[in-house]
Amino acid sequence: MSHLLEVEGLVKRYGDELVLDGIGFDMDARDVQVLVGPSGSGKSTMLRCVNRLTEFQGGEIRLDGTSVMAMDENDLRRQVGMVFQDFNLFAHLTAKQNVMLGPRRVLGKSKEAADALAMEELERVGLAAQADSYPAELSGGQQQRVGIARGLAMDPKLMLFDEPTSALDPELIGEVLSVMRELAEEGMTMLCVTHEMSFARQVATDIMFLEDGHIVEHGDPEKLFTNPDNERTEQFLRRLTEHGDGS
Amino acid sequence: MTAALPLATSDWGYVWANLGTLIAAVWPALKLTGAALVVGFVVGVPLGTLEVFGGRRSAWLARKAGVVVRGTPILVIMFITYFGLGLSPAFVAATAALGVRSAAYQGQVFRGALQSIGRGQMEAARSVGLSKLGAIRHVMIPQALRRFVPGFQNEYTIVLKDTSIAFAISYTEIFYHMYNLIPEQTTATPELFLTVAGIYLVLTLTGNRVLDYVDDAFSIPDGGASR
Repeated sequence: MSHLLEVEGLVKRYGDELVLDGIGFDMDARDVQVLVGPSGSGKSTMLRCVNRLTEFQGGEIRLDGTSVMAMDENDLRRQVGMVFQDFNLFAHLTAKQNVMLGPRRVLGKSKEAADALAMEELERVGLAAQADSYPAELSGGQQQRVGIARGLAMDPKLMLFDEPTSALDPELIGEVLSVMRELAEEGMTMLCVTHEMSFARQVATDIMFLEDGHIVEHGDPEKLFTNPDNERTEQFLRRLTEHGDGS
Repeated sequence: MTAALPLATSDWGYVWANLGTLIAAVWPALKLTGAALVVGFVVGVPLGTLEVFGGRRSAWLARKAGVVVRGTPILVIMFITYFGLGLSPAFVAATAALGVRSAAYQGQVFRGALQSIGRGQMEAARSVGLSKLGAIRHVMIPQALRRFVPGFQNEYTIVLKDTSIAFAISYTEIFYHMYNLIPEQTTATPELFLTVAGIYLVLTLTGNRVLDYVDDAFSIPDGGASR
């Protein structure tokens, strides 16, 4: 039986620069796969290959057994939610309208149905009271939770999180992580790029350490944190922890 | 009288006596302004969008067409539409000329508005499964239109003042009537010019106030952060 997501020998180049050099891993439904690694290691690029926001030059990515290159890109993205580092909420729409846009214009739901669905998703991230606020009226943490609700409203098979807390003030990180934690508990399949080591350790089913476009280490969170095989992994994790990131 | 402009009470009297004629001509001037701006908007917004999101060929074509039109004097364009293409009455020819030129400028304003929107908006729209066209329509254009208003205010001012050029094809707007008042009392020429300038100034200021209001009404709420 095939996995929900299969990545095989993924190669990505920007000009001459090799950004991803043969990445491979699998995810099953309900998995929470965390990608860590120094900046420039290709984590975000890897994520963006999955929903084809970025083209890749070699290898294969399969969703439910179908190559993403063989799928219509809009159809693929309908099934894969994405949460951005900079939130990227639609600035001219209220929180609720942000969540409604996809269901309405992509899934073709009626206004009433999309409205009800949006309220449900906003409830889920604890923002029903802010439904009529515009992004600029919300805190960063609230904006990111709307961003998550927007992804969830499409009922995706897989959610991609691209450093969802990196643009947030420290005191706002917790609210976003707790929403993500709940999602994981509800069984959402999640592929996350993050530097939040406490989240990774508690929630991840698997952690990959990426460096220079390679997977340096890959495995069970507890093992990776307590007894990494690779010296680079150990150094990287130690540095993150020393900087007080593991709160 | 040693002033730079030979102004005289009797000439002001002449202006006063004919002020009604000049003010009555405000309507045709505004009508032409409005029609030209509408043509400019309807043609210019798609052109600006093509420049940003079009294919290589259509973007190139939109860009070149804009350069040619912006590089041609308005009087020449008006002679082309009136004498060359034979559009009539003068209102139609003037609307076409000012409209085409306005499209070339409004297209640039709209292009700038679109380009000022962060890349992330497009990516977010695509990531929920919207097609490129859907993303342009539902996410990019609504935001660009709001950023378009201040540039459009300039365009309103320019088109309004350039309606005076339509006097050259005998469109009976403000300038045309003023011009016809000169032969009867040539000494009143400076007073007539100043009066007409004053009328344009009033129209410019009030029009811009109205557009300020539009800008405000359509601005995206931010909890007062930008005030």
